[in-house]
Amino acid sequence: MARRCCKSGHWKERFETSAMMGTFLASTPLLKEAWRLCSAANAMGCGAFVVEQVGGVGYVAFSGVQEMPVLGWDPSCTMLAPLDAAGHGLFAALTRRYEGEEPVMVHSGVLHRFHHYQSRNDLQSQIDSLLDKTKSIVITGHSIGGSVAFLTALSVLSFLKSIFPPSVLCIGFGSPFLGNESLSRAILRERWASNFCNVVATHDILPRLSLDQSLVQTPHWKALIRFWYTSMMSPNSMNLTDFPLTEEDKAWLFSFAVANMERLAQVGEGSRWRSFWPLGNYLFCSEEGMICLDNAISVKKMMHLMLRTSSPSCVIEEHLKYGWYVERLSLQSLGRRFKEGHLSESSYEASLSMALNSLGTSQQVLIALMAKDCLKMARQKERHPNLNAAYLAIKLSKIAPYRAEIEWYKACCDNSDKQRGYYDSFKQRGASKRESHINKNRIILKAFWDGVVSMMDRNELPLNFHKSLEWVIEESQLYKLLVEPLDIAEYYRSGMHLKKGHYISNGRERRYEIFNQWWTERVVIEKLGNRRTRYTSLTQDTCFWARVEEAKEWLDKIKSESDPNNLVFLRDRLNEFEAYAMKLFDGKEASADVLAKNSSFSLWLKEWRALKSQIYPLIELALPD
Amino acid sequence: MDIDTGSCGRELGIKDEVIKKACSISIRAHQAPAEKPFLVDKIRGSPSQVVIAFSGAWTSDAWSTRDGTAKAFGETEVNLNSFPSLRSIGNDITAKVNEASMNQFLQIMEKSALRSEMDKATRDSKPIIFAGHSSGGPIAIYATIWLLEEYKRLKKTLTHGPFCLTFGSPLTTDRIFCHAVRREEWSDRFVHFVMIHDIVPRILLAPLSSTKEFLEQSLPYLISPSAHHKADSIDKSKLTALFDNVMRNASCVASHAACILMGSTNMLLDTMTKFVQLSPYRPCGQYVFCTGTGRLVVVKNPDAVFQLLFYSLQLVSESESQQKAVASLPAHLAYEDGLDKNLDMRNAIHLENLCELPLSSDNTMDIATKTIVDTLNDLNLSARARLCLRAAGESEKQKEDNQKKIERKMGMIRNALDDLEGYRTMCETRGMGYFDAFKVQKHEDDFKANVKRLELAGIWDEIIEMLKRDELPDKYEAEKSWVKLGTEFRQLVEPLDVANYYRHLKNEDTGPYMTKGRPRRYKYTQRWREHAEQLPRGSCGESCFWADVEELNLAVTSNQPRNEQMALNVANKLKEWHAKGEVKKDAFLKETALVTWWKTLPDNHGAKLCIKDLIES
Repeated sequence: MARRCCKSGHWKERFETSAMMGTFLASTPLLKEAWRLCSAANAMGCGAFVVEQVGGVGYVAFSGVQEMPVLGWDPSCTMLAPLDAAGHGLFAALTRRYEGEEPVMVHSGVLHRFHHYQSRNDLQSQIDSLLDKTKSIVITGHSIGGSVAFLTALSVLSFLKSIFPPSVLCIGFGSPFLGNESLSRAILRERWASNFCNVVATHDILPRLSLDQSLVQTPHWKALIRFWYTSMMSPNSMNLTDFPLTEEDKAWLFSFAVANMERLAQVGEGSRWRSFWPLGNYLFCSEEGMICLDNAISVKKMMHLMLRTSSPSCVIEEHLKYGWYVERLSLQSLGRRFKEGHLSESSYEASLSMALNSLGTSQQVLIALMAKDCLKMARQKERHPNLNAAYLAIKLSKIAPYRAEIEWYKACCDNSDKQRGYYDSFKQRGASKRESHINKNRIILKAFWDGVVSMMDRNELPLNFHKSLEWVIEESQLYKLLVEPLDIAEYYRSGMHLKKGHYISNGRERRYEIFNQWWTERVVIEKLGNRRTRYTSLTQDTCFWARVEEAKEWLDKIKSESDPNNLVFLRDRLNEFEAYAMKLFDGKEASADVLAKNSSFSLWLKEWRALKSQIYPLIELALPD
Repeated sequence: MDIDTGSCGRELGIKDEVIKKACSISIRAHQAPAEKPFLVDKIRGSPSQVVIAFSGAWTSDAWSTRDGTAKAFGETEVNLNSFPSLRSIGNDITAKVNEASMNQFLQIMEKSALRSEMDKATRDSKPIIFAGHSSGGPIAIYATIWLLEEYKRLKKTLTHGPFCLTFGSPLTTDRIFCHAVRREEWSDRFVHFVMIHDIVPRILLAPLSSTKEFLEQSLPYLISPSAHHKADSIDKSKLTALFDNVMRNASCVASHAACILMGSTNMLLDTMTKFVQLSPYRPCGQYVFCTGTGRLVVVKNPDAVFQLLFYSLQLVSESESQQKAVASLPAHLAYEDGLDKNLDMRNAIHLENLCELPLSSDNTMDIATKTIVDTLNDLNLSARARLCLRAAGESEKQKEDNQKKIERKMGMIRNALDDLEGYRTMCETRGMGYFDAFKVQKHEDDFKANVKRLELAGIWDEIIEMLKRDELPDKYEAEKSWVKLGTEFRQLVEPLDVANYYRHLKNEDTGPYMTKGRPRRYKYTQRWREHAEQLPRGSCGESCFWADVEELNLAVTSNQPRNEQMALNVANKLKEWHAKGEVKKDAFLKETALVTWWKTLPDNHGAKLCIKDLIES
């Protein structure tokens, strides 16, 4: 029996769950219901849509027959268009840009169709009345109708975000790619990825095509899409013998799809290529079952691999078979699935073979091997960010004492007889053991937080961690408030400002900018209106000391300046800073150490106020009037 | 693997004869007139036992949903006054049950002689076996829990405690119910017999609206033999439709549970719950599955039982649907004969070590493995089903490993607490309460105490996080050693958290500590103690009265009207806690925040008088 013992390690690695997810989804009534409405919308023809309430769930289905004029005859039109270009703020949550990211782009033809629907009052009013009556809404569509559904779902989510947590589910059947990597990332960040499902038959070519000029202008495509549209509108009269394409035409379309998918599969993460990128969950379905994948890289690889098990003869009908698939899979989920043959006794290997069986690849040894790697990779990709997040929690509790030591240092400085606060004490430290210890802590904390930032840069944290790890953000804010003044002190102490320029514009490290962004973007649940009664324990403007350093420089300059224009300039700057500081104290947004008797700020203030009365007459004298 | 083929009763701690008797009385109970909701019978022996069997009802007023707003599965929260244990403690979630069956039980309790029957048997130290077939099952479960709560309230040992036997009972209790019963270690007192082809145990996995007609119009006539209805009098196509519907829903909810057991982190699982109605009901207690081949399979792991309820009835081929549907009704009526036969065959097996179940049926070598393989085949289990059972086993094992992992940290917690205890003594020698000393943070020891506080917070937050994600064994929150350690930790360290909170004026950013800033690690540990010692909710605030004191002091300095009620409460409670030694005398030293506040009170104030002695001594 010992040989069957569970392998040690994290138990969650012991099963491949994509097939189990597929079974679950196939056993729900949702896919069948969504398809019923999609085919009803298809039958109504070009640009149609259907709205219906089933039980407590509202459905909106878009017809797969869509007129896409932009692509057809405007050669100057690019395939991808920025989402915010004509969005009127419809997608505010998605179009925020992060450093180094491409803008969010979507297929221009689909965007055009979406705007067309947006301008139709009948659709808007029907969606509104659905939202009044139900708490959950499914937006769906076959083919290009699914892409329109995706954009509609995004606009509904963006709109509802501010009102109540929406239950929106979007289901596409064989829909082509919608947007670029930035779109996919923006959706992950909002935690909306789980609201999107694309049901893709393993041999359907449409989801694998980039609908660009090189394709849509060809007679092959025009003939294919015309046939598809006719069949969608009257599925019962579908007659493959009427199909005008020759075997060569099919072969051309098929190899076009293979070439496109091959290219897309090679585009790595974070590349600046303006190419399509999968978003949300992909439900791959074959005659044998269904699996669910949500890692974009794996989805692309799998799309490519499955196409290799297909042939030109599948080009036409696979795209029209979703009704059949949905029916079959729903039945299958009730019974045993497939011949079980010889299975490995390891849970992981056995569940992996089940996923491969569900894809219908069990007979193709080579493809099965590659598909296996692809599933393994998806599992790792999924696991790493979550594991990292878990480790982060533990590491964070380990470094907390270092921060506490600095807090203690600050408190000691506040209470010391020198009365100059921790900024100046640290900046003007001699060879003291205590300060060098604090400096060591500062460096340890810096290394930790830089590590967090670089994990984020390398996509090793859950993309939505802004929302899922709120405590990290709280901690980063505490760190920033406490330690950035010390970084500023170190900067000016070591004379970096002479080499690189002042801290704020030249020396501030990126992590602080990022923490700032996190903090300002976090969901503020409740804001207390009351005023502070005492000075905060930490100055809220962490760059305050850097501003003091700049003000000190101005003060030095103004003493030796004779050019009246420069004098006026410096005087204004100094006045501005003084007013700013006073406002800070008024709101008690500064900590007491700033006002300590011998702090460099207090010294500056004293000197400036004394100098003011001397400077003003000088300026008046120098100025012509 | 532990193979023990033999008497089923011996495995379960109940004699086979008792099971048979309970079953036959349960079936007879359906024939009793409506004003007699249960039958009582005695079984001789030492000690002799009392069987109380319920008939229950599938009647329309009991099972139908009251109005449009009712839940799809007719579930409702239990009344914590009658069933104080039925909740998860730290997470503070109340268990749910099927409302109609619970109402039947409450009616019986109120209107019948059940209460006096229970008292009589308890007085004579005769163990009671509550039993029920079909709709009688849920009532038997609630009656057993009711009596167990009574035993717990009176702190009586369970030597002659009640047992519960059900036969083909529908699922009517949720996940939290099961969690609570396992935590209280009552789980082994519930034994549910299920014929694997019986549809009724699965029927509440489908929404009530879809099964109502069958439950109200067909089933009652079948289970009461006096009406001479036969199973084949029911329309086959209707029955097949019902069967398909129930199995579809069972498949959906079982695969959803399996995804989670297997560790899927896909958020889609969450999203889907808003679009698909998933039954909240889960098995609770031990299950005995009776296979068509006369084997009795005992399963304890509730996740495994849940998967088995679906997979043991799964179709092998599509054409089988009608045949299984038709067979599913006689199976519900065959408990008496079936059990008689099966128990005599002495062919019971305990399905344990779930993570080592063989996946394939071939190349078996030793007898022990062969028995397991045969059992799995008798249960009609595909490889996928076996994987789900393994996942259930792995999940249970993982929870135990997690507990071992945190148990290794007990020493660290202990040491840090000792250090803080030393800190407290030292503050006292300085003539200061440690709350105030910590708040001022003047000495290096204060700082060191702060580091200890942070270390402890890290360890406890990890534990709380595990509880929230349901990653610890059900019994964890009732472990005496943890409740004790949690209480010590809370009493010693929470004052420091309060001090830190008000020292950094977090109240001005977020609000008062008690409502906005209290960490979960203290809320959870407080609930643990209150539950363990059966104290009223919120009564163990001995660790956080400082927060109230701070708020009272703030009100004084900002010239707000005094909150008289709060002042009196704090003073009265302090007296009580001090008497019990839970609040030490350092709180009453001369410059503490407490005394500062106390001095602001007028001399004739109730609160002032209340703790006058404590402060002045």
